[in-house]
Amino acid sequence: MPDESKTNNILVVDDSPTMRRMVITSLGSLRKVKSTQAGSGLEAIERLAIEPVDLMVLDLNMPDMHGMEVIDFMRKHQAYRNIPIVVLTTKGEESSRTQALAAGANRYLTKPFDPRQLADVVSSLLNAS
Amino acid sequence: MDNQNPDNRGEFFDQFLDDYYAECDEHLVSIRRALVTLEDEIDTGTVDRTLLDNLFRSFHTLKGISGMVGLSSAEQLAHHLESYLRELREGTVLLSDSGFQALVSGVSLLESIINARRNDQPIPSIDETVERLQSVSSESVPSKIETTSTPETSDSNATRWLVEFTPTAELAERGVNVNSVRARLQELGQLIQAKPVVKGAGEIAFEFIVATNADKSAVADLEADGLTFKIAPVESAPRAKDSQPVATIAPASVVRVDLDRIDELMRIIGELVISRTRLEDQLTELKRTTPPALWRSLQETNLGMGRQLRDLRESVMRVRMVQIGEIFERMTFVVRDLARESGKKIIVQHSGGETEIDKFLVERMMDPLMHLVRNAVSHGLETVAEREAQGKRSEGLLSLSATTAGEMIAIKIADDGRGIDRKNVLNRARARGLSHGNTDLDDAALLDLIATPGLSTRDEADRESGRGVGMDVVKKATEELGGRIALATKLGEGTTFTIELPLTLAIAEALIVSVDGQRFAVPQSSVREVLEVESASTKVLENNEIISYRGKVLPLLRLARVFEMGYQRGEKFHVLVIGEDANEVGLAVDRIIGQREIVVRAIKDPLAQSKGIAGATELGDQRVVLILDVSALRQLAATSSH
Repeated sequence: MPDESKTNNILVVDDSPTMRRMVITSLGSLRKVKSTQAGSGLEAIERLAIEPVDLMVLDLNMPDMHGMEVIDFMRKHQAYRNIPIVVLTTKGEESSRTQALAAGANRYLTKPFDPRQLADVVSSLLNAS
Repeated sequence: MDNQNPDNRGEFFDQFLDDYYAECDEHLVSIRRALVTLEDEIDTGTVDRTLLDNLFRSFHTLKGISGMVGLSSAEQLAHHLESYLRELREGTVLLSDSGFQALVSGVSLLESIINARRNDQPIPSIDETVERLQSVSSESVPSKIETTSTPETSDSNATRWLVEFTPTAELAERGVNVNSVRARLQELGQLIQAKPVVKGAGEIAFEFIVATNADKSAVADLEADGLTFKIAPVESAPRAKDSQPVATIAPASVVRVDLDRIDELMRIIGELVISRTRLEDQLTELKRTTPPALWRSLQETNLGMGRQLRDLRESVMRVRMVQIGEIFERMTFVVRDLARESGKKIIVQHSGGETEIDKFLVERMMDPLMHLVRNAVSHGLETVAEREAQGKRSEGLLSLSATTAGEMIAIKIADDGRGIDRKNVLNRARARGLSHGNTDLDDAALLDLIATPGLSTRDEADRESGRGVGMDVVKKATEELGGRIALATKLGEGTTFTIELPLTLAIAEALIVSVDGQRFAVPQSSVREVLEVESASTKVLENNEIISYRGKVLPLLRLARVFEMGYQRGEKFHVLVIGEDANEVGLAVDRIIGQREIVVRAIKDPLAQSKGIAGATELGDQRVVLILDVSALRQLAATSSH
């Protein structure tokens, strides 16, 4: 049973501010959800250190720390091992799907994304955890 | 699950279009900058890896966001650009001249597509460009390619510090975060590594390795923020080969704001300025009836408010300012493209790129400035053969510069090409029935003539000279923004256009003058000097009133006569000197009332527009005061004296 009283914190990681706004607005329809954002892999890790994160929506191709390295880092460390990760990346590199899922991403979606589908995926992962 | 996202995806993403255009602009600026550097690496066999990574990422992001807003041709084109970049990055293709040109035309097309969407125009086809990109992507595999990392610190004495930073919520609140720490370390030296680690108790820390000559005292304030420093063990320093140079990222403290919101702020400040002027007038009325001590303290508060208001206005204005260098880079890009097509060799020089100008002005002047640059390349500068035949150096010189003077910015576009042929222009004017009696044209008259609508014909308005934007449009755009344009040209030596624009619109310092009891505002930036003149000292020469001024003759323009009003024939009157050198004119008014900050409002109703009037303002007593259009008045003076 999901905890009805808890507000879930979703960390949206993408180097494009426009894309972050699109993702956050898409998730705006979900109840008991708030979003925080990070513009790079390093910033994402810093957010994890500062506040509890319940789910991460993660872009792959980013400056300084590739999304794949963020997944590796999180899955390697106990405290972040169980945070669901939805990879949301621009379509084109098909090999990265297998790679990301093998590294421990929970779902792999491509851009352009359907706002409704993203919200559904996020909501089902939150309910399952 | 409750989900209210509309099914219509297009509509949902339309709300992000403004963000989309803004982000596209940012990427296009950095792409152009990177391409200029990349051009030097054609056929060298070595390409800067960081540069390629940044370009790749920009195309990747443009592809992603274009897909989201449903602009599929931009998405596809960005995809092909990205693919070519990937080949370059992986070293399967060598950056050739044809490859570089394909990149450049791909970027230009990408920009046209985005602009077409922005202006609701038909989207250009991408087929041809995509084909070019595909063919350069499969160019023969060269034997050996190196991609170079950023050069190692040349100074081998640099010490490597291992810096550890543990982020906390408290530090983040004070603005000490992974981005700010990293930016500060980059100031100290070369950042070699930045990676997250998990410490014993499970907390996250970042490990940076920085090579620097700075001594420990330089990092004292960083230590105060909880950072620890120690000499990095040599073995932990990654070898040059896998040292991925860490790209500089924009500081996290930058926000993007819609220009409309800033305009709204400026409007509110404008109203505050008017209210304060009203307050000042009311205070003056109170002076007689208020105890002096009280009045003085009221007046002090009032003056303090005036200063704060000016600071506020300046701060908001600074938010609107952008560096003109960004425009120069776009121009350079266009010039390279045109030069390549026309087979000319051109060196572009910039200066004053850091000069700041109002974003609104830049956007309105973009096309006119681009037109001048295109003109300089296609009509001004000669081919290599022509230049050499005249004993000029084979490369044409195009110089773009910006300087500020007072509240004006001057943008100069100068070429050392063939100059404008006055005879030719005159003949063309006569042939079009725009006859011009005067055969001895000075530069100002020449400019007026070439800016006459209809002088250039359609077949001359080819691609290079800017698709329909003629000199008349350039001049009109400049003047509409309260600016002026000047021309200096010499046959065989070159042409210089100087465009002077106010640094910002909306609020300006003005002199308030009166004529026949009517008040007018004169923008202070256009007044060179104010003189008090004895009525007896004026002379009449060929129907023009003149006075002597600094050993020269200064023609007078009676404002009263321009607007068909009466004027007081007092013993003395005031003259505002406007224009420069040979074009100096003295604007005669009855009285100078004072100096004020005015809020400029354009007169939009064509019925109310009149030559010599630039706009209107109120001064606090809710009476409207007309703002004089000084450049138009100067022209009036010039024509009336002929």
